[in-house]
Amino acid sequence: MKDMTVSTERVLELIAAYGAEPGAWPEDERAAAAEWVANSPDLFAAALEEARALDQMLLNEQVPEPSSQLSESILTAAPMPKPAARGVLGGLSTLIFPQGVRWPAGAALASLMMGLVGGYAYASTGAGYDQADLAYYAAFGVENGEDWLGTE
Amino acid sequence: MSGISELDQITRAAAGDRAAQAALVNRNMPIVFRVAYRMLQDRAEAEDVTQETFLRAWKKLPDWQPKAKFSTWACTVALNLCRDRLRKKKPVLMDELPERVDTGLRPEESLASQQALQGIEAKIADLPDRQREALTLCALEGMTNIEAAAAMDVSVRALESLLARARRALRAGLGAELAGER
Repeated sequence: MKDMTVSTERVLELIAAYGAEPGAWPEDERAAAAEWVANSPDLFAAALEEARALDQMLLNEQVPEPSSQLSESILTAAPMPKPAARGVLGGLSTLIFPQGVRWPAGAALASLMMGLVGGYAYASTGAGYDQADLAYYAAFGVENGEDWLGTE
Repeated sequence: MSGISELDQITRAAAGDRAAQAALVNRNMPIVFRVAYRMLQDRAEAEDVTQETFLRAWKKLPDWQPKAKFSTWACTVALNLCRDRLRKKKPVLMDELPERVDTGLRPEESLASQQALQGIEAKIADLPDRQREALTLCALEGMTNIEAAAAMDVSVRALESLLARARRALRAGLGAELAGER
């Protein structure tokens, strides 16, 4: 639609389709069509009056408001913020340790250290322990631990 | 939201930004509801269509292509949903449809105004579906001819033809009421 296509017939078509208000006419034809009307007002007076009356009635048309819960319902279904991508293991870790893995890792390290220290202490007192065992066996009349254990 | 483009708003809404989502709904929900209401003439059904339209929007947003305004896209979806519902209703004769009870109009409105509004509303409701769509988008919601034609998936010339026929039918139907406006 270019300005050069504007004619009396075309302006009447615009009024019939879009009404009397030039603001409602297609933007690319608006200025030329309005000028055409201004140059020959009598040609369009009847069409404009008729269209204006209908425009006024359409302005008075009312539609009920939607319920107040509608916006809320719509927003409830809206997408939630996505957590930063951390892979499958990262997701599993978050699921198991929601406060992070620092404390469980520290506890595991402490357990390991206690095990090592305890094991070393046990090994270093091994001889004394054997003497106590022999005394225990002697109390039951057994000469050595191997008899008691039935490994002879 | 004046400093934020629609595309920015959509991008943020897709990422879960609640403020952007609320702004998108506040800006576009009313027009979608009004279009649906004019097509279906039923508040509850119009709300269902509006909700379904936004459910589809939430799914669409991550892949949004700014080919059209969000409102144009939303009206296209809403119109399609309305057409589906109207198609299912077609076997029911107009005479058998119940009177509309809840128009949502405020009680303080005068009786004369009520009658006039019911007059124009009733005449719009009686228009053929495609003419009602064209009139709703262009004359009542202020879409440009290009936007309305895109939403209806018709040419601009076809849109103009539908608009002219709709206005002619309204003028014929309103008759005396319209003469009183002059």
